[in-house]
Amino acid sequence: MEVLKQLYDMTALGEIGETPGVLLMILIGGVLLYLGIVKKYEPLLLVPIGFGIILANLPGGNMDVVPAELVELPEHRYMNLFEIASEYGIMNFIYYSLIKTGFLPPIIFMGVGALTDFGPMLRNLRLAFFGAAAQIGIFGVFFGAIALGFSPKEAGSLGIIGGADGPTAIYTTILLAPHLLGPIAIAAYSYMALVPVIVPLVAKRLMTKREFGINMKKQDNLFPPRYKIKNIKMVKIVFPIVLGIVVAILVPSSVPLLGMLLFGNLIKEIGAITSRLSEAATGPIMNTATIFLGLAVGATMTADVFLDLKTLGIIVGGFLAFAISIAGGILAVKVYNLFSKKKINPLVGATGLSAVPMASRVANELGLKYDSSNHLLQYCMASNISGVIGSAVAAGVLISILG
Amino acid sequence: MTENFEQAWVLLGVGMIAVFAVLMLVVLIGNSLIIISNRFFQESLGLHNAGESLQESISPSKVAAIVAGIKRVTGGRGEVLDIKRKDK
Repeated sequence: MEVLKQLYDMTALGEIGETPGVLLMILIGGVLLYLGIVKKYEPLLLVPIGFGIILANLPGGNMDVVPAELVELPEHRYMNLFEIASEYGIMNFIYYSLIKTGFLPPIIFMGVGALTDFGPMLRNLRLAFFGAAAQIGIFGVFFGAIALGFSPKEAGSLGIIGGADGPTAIYTTILLAPHLLGPIAIAAYSYMALVPVIVPLVAKRLMTKREFGINMKKQDNLFPPRYKIKNIKMVKIVFPIVLGIVVAILVPSSVPLLGMLLFGNLIKEIGAITSRLSEAATGPIMNTATIFLGLAVGATMTADVFLDLKTLGIIVGGFLAFAISIAGGILAVKVYNLFSKKKINPLVGATGLSAVPMASRVANELGLKYDSSNHLLQYCMASNISGVIGSAVAAGVLISILG
Repeated sequence: MTENFEQAWVLLGVGMIAVFAVLMLVVLIGNSLIIISNRFFQESLGLHNAGESLQESISPSKVAAIVAGIKRVTGGRGEVLDIKRKDK
């Protein structure tokens, strides 16, 4: 009997029975795994996050991320990484060395840069402005969050979901409200996975049938672009260098994200002589970073942190931020069309939020439903890519004012 | 609370101006580079291959159609890296 009791005490069964929230969190982790594996919604992120939640909530495993107060020492000092690992386990070692320092999101941004082609944006530079209009959700939802009782730093972290950019949302939250990292990361990636639902939902409410049918190619033929690019390769190489310098001067707090994005893009555009760097950035480095980021973000979501009214606020507020951003882009195009002879399909504005290239693909398919010859992909990619830059700048503004 | 709302207005103003300013610079820098390269550097840097130059010469709508076709056929997993004309 004593042996059986010892065996029972060794397992986590007793602790699970005492804390029902744990079972709910394991269920939430299971739902995320289902969405990632079966529904294929952002599987590269939702699978590690879902599994991280399960690991963190199983009692006795020592895989949950502990609050920062526990690793703080007097006089603004912190435990070193060896002490953290030995006291609180390897997940805290990963979290406090790679996440809390803000290391991984810029590393992922480097890979995103190496996967990004600025060509569509450079060919349609005017459309880049709609990437700015679509950031309105980030700042717009701030008001609602404050009214709901969020602190300014929490409201800023909630608003950044409207930028539709996972690494940016995580980076901003780490610096402003690290205790909300789990729910905000989940909301950001969930809504990004739901872009095929949210973009048509908002667009159909704000656009007329005639606007859906605006054919960008025909408009280009009627009003040709002012400049034809004769040496795109050179422009693509110099562009990230010059832009990086200018942005670093104007919004320095956005440099960790934007600088790494532009560096990644540079090593891709140079071509064969740096292809090994570009392959590393988009392959092993990005994949490793994604695994650690996902697991550690999941491990922050323990029952006592996640099962809170604020999580509900984040889920609702995140959706609003997303929808307002899409609406902002659409309305900006509508206003532009009032004053311009050359009309632009408002779907180009809808893709001004990041979520590259899914938002563009969704807008392209939506446009094709109304006019089978209206291929919007290249035009949508222009505002979509500028949206990545815009959301990183918006994050920089939030961090410098609220941080 | 009122103080927080005041901060929200400041953020809205500063944030949107900053985003528009940076993207305006993106447009200015992009246009300047295009004008300079068109005038002084029409020759390529010698880094690209024939396939890339062909891709640039195809109209954007054809590129879009090819990209959309590949995405649909491969269920979004495929990516167009290069477009080359097949010699007859």
